[in-house]
Amino acid sequence: MNTQKVKTSKNIEATAWRFMRLSGILLIPLAWFHVLLQDVVVGVHEIDIDYVAVRLANVGWQIFDILLLTFAFAHGMNGLRQVVNDFVHTEKGQRRMAWLLLVIWLIVSAIGAVAVIAGARPELA
Amino acid sequence: MTPILTSLRTTLTGYLRYRGREGHYSFLMHRLTGLGTLLFLIIHILDTATVYFFPSLYEHAIALYQSTPFMLGEIGLVFAVIYHGVNGLRISVLDLRLPEKWTIATQRGGVRMTFILSTLMWLPAAGVMMYNMLQHNYGMFGG
Repeated sequence: MNTQKVKTSKNIEATAWRFMRLSGILLIPLAWFHVLLQDVVVGVHEIDIDYVAVRLANVGWQIFDILLLTFAFAHGMNGLRQVVNDFVHTEKGQRRMAWLLLVIWLIVSAIGAVAVIAGARPELA
Repeated sequence: MTPILTSLRTTLTGYLRYRGREGHYSFLMHRLTGLGTLLFLIIHILDTATVYFFPSLYEHAIALYQSTPFMLGEIGLVFAVIYHGVNGLRISVLDLRLPEKWTIATQRGGVRMTFILSTLMWLPAAGVMMYNMLQHNYGMFGG
């Protein structure tokens, strides 16, 4: 099969297309290591708020968790936007859904980021 | 029917009826594993955030994750995360570096390899998680 490189003008969909591939590659070490460590090596039965407090007191884990939160959730919400575009066929509807998903993304990301940065409060549990 | 229902039906029947064999199943599995992981991710961000916002609620959330139905769901989630990653890497490498390999013949083999590789990576993780579940929830293996 012959393929040809075509120069395209920069637009938001082309950037989103690249973002999905590059963030996806980055998420392989980030998400897989997180799942392997917490679900398989440590296990959900060993996790409590004291465990989370120790983990989030470590700046290295905070950076790891912020990266994971940012890239995994952005990748997921943009993926959802693409699925929504398969079902919503008008430009107006697609635009509305994109804004809705953006707002949800910002709110949930902010909630998660505050918790990662501020850390756990086991003394209040 | 309203336009929304019509477009919903058009897309859903298209999803189900398209007969692209491996490529079709690969597309559906990538979507399902992605949406499933995203659903879990949203719940997981919010329940973990309780460690700061409502610390007394966190133990209830964790207790739920330790229950048998949730642990079975987590074992499925691990497959979703592995499969979506392996398949996504395949798509990324082809799109960014090897676009000439996007042919039906190479893709059929690639899709099968992706499924086999993901399953082989998942089985040991699923075994450990199943062992933990039987030990903690059913008192097996001296638990």
